[in-house]
Amino acid sequence: MITERALMRRVAEGDAQAFTELVSRYSARLLTFAWRLLGNRADAEDAVQRALMRCYTSATRYRPDWAVSTWLYRITTNICVDELRRRTSRSALRRAAESEAGNGQAVLLPAGDGGPAGPGRHLDLRRALARVPREARVLLALRYVDGLSYQELARVRGISLNTVKSQLARGKSILRAALKGRGRRRAPAQAAAAVTTKGAER
Amino acid sequence: MTHESTVTHDAIDEMLFAYFRPVPAGADLGRRVLDRLRDRWDPERFTAQVAFEASGRGVSLVRPGGRARPPVSRAAKRLIDRARQELFDYLEGRRAFFSVPVDFSSARPFQRKVLELTHRIPFGETRSYSWIARTIGLPDARRAVGTALGRNPVPILVPCHRVLRSDGGLGGYAFGLDMKSRLLGLESSTPVLEGCTTTGIVCRVGCSAGGRMRDDHRVVFATVADARSVGYRPCKVCRPAA
Repeated sequence: MITERALMRRVAEGDAQAFTELVSRYSARLLTFAWRLLGNRADAEDAVQRALMRCYTSATRYRPDWAVSTWLYRITTNICVDELRRRTSRSALRRAAESEAGNGQAVLLPAGDGGPAGPGRHLDLRRALARVPREARVLLALRYVDGLSYQELARVRGISLNTVKSQLARGKSILRAALKGRGRRRAPAQAAAAVTTKGAER
Repeated sequence: MTHESTVTHDAIDEMLFAYFRPVPAGADLGRRVLDRLRDRWDPERFTAQVAFEASGRGVSLVRPGGRARPPVSRAAKRLIDRARQELFDYLEGRRAFFSVPVDFSSARPFQRKVLELTHRIPFGETRSYSWIARTIGLPDARRAVGTALGRNPVPILVPCHRVLRSDGGLGGYAFGLDMKSRLLGLESSTPVLEGCTTTGIVCRVGCSAGGRMRDDHRVVFATVADARSVGYRPCKVCRPAA
């Protein structure tokens, strides 16, 4: 198998076959990442296509001291975050949520300890994720779609290693709090408290 | 596969892994991207290829392609990033003016006069080469005006595409005549002014204040006079009345 850096070199020379090979290696992960962030498949596909177009046209600017995956995720993340910023209006968010409700495939989860398994939990997780601030959500998505290391995450977002760690911890404790409070309404103050205690444990 | 994920492998991790499990994309995604690159004129791709240079005072060079010198300072880098973003928004029909400053210091006095006047031609309007020559007080300098605009260092930002021949011909353009007519078409189909029904303020399209407007409160106007006649006041940020 050709290494990814060698593939990138060929892409930079305008080799279309090398490009399709590279795309086929990453398309599923990039699409899932964008889908989970943007909420619906159509927007996600458009974002991924735009990211890949940018990857192809600026392949000559790719520097080999970056891992190809890190570089691809950085481009895709920037496009998705721009798109999220653009949707500041409430109506757009609602529209996205509705279209996702239409085509969202429920992921069946294995029965874990506590709580019902099945599509219900998937929905809960999506709702809980919506409460996580954007930066932490982006990091969670990158980490769980492709298991990027903390170093890679820091590079993708251009932030420090410690920020990555604290954002991920914060995101997860918000999720934990939101999922525990499932069924009864949980005051936001309590969720915030969960965050600080989590931080203090470390 | 994941190196550090074994640290706290609890129920939340399980759920997140399941939620973010990759869904297969279409097998022909790469092909579709290549088609999109080849067939369509794409603002994104165009913007990525444009070379910008800037001094600390403003953008000093816009070129269709090729390498630009690296930015001379942080301020210049910020200006270039801003210019690229504004250019993209403009080409997408989301912006009716450029707020990024331009630096004419490399131009000679005559060319500078021409460029400064051209810079003030409003979005969606056109002028002729001879109008420019007359307005700067040199009615015989039509051809010199053409030459000065032909060497416009910052096309699009200084809208030399809004200058046409008096006989209706397109004249010339650094980005090609296709691009000139595309830009004119874009400007004639992009709304210039939008008002917000809740604030009663009218902005130029692309104003940072107007960006916060909700879609269902947005209303498009042709002129500031129209907007005023129904009780709107011009925005103080983008100053559509100026």
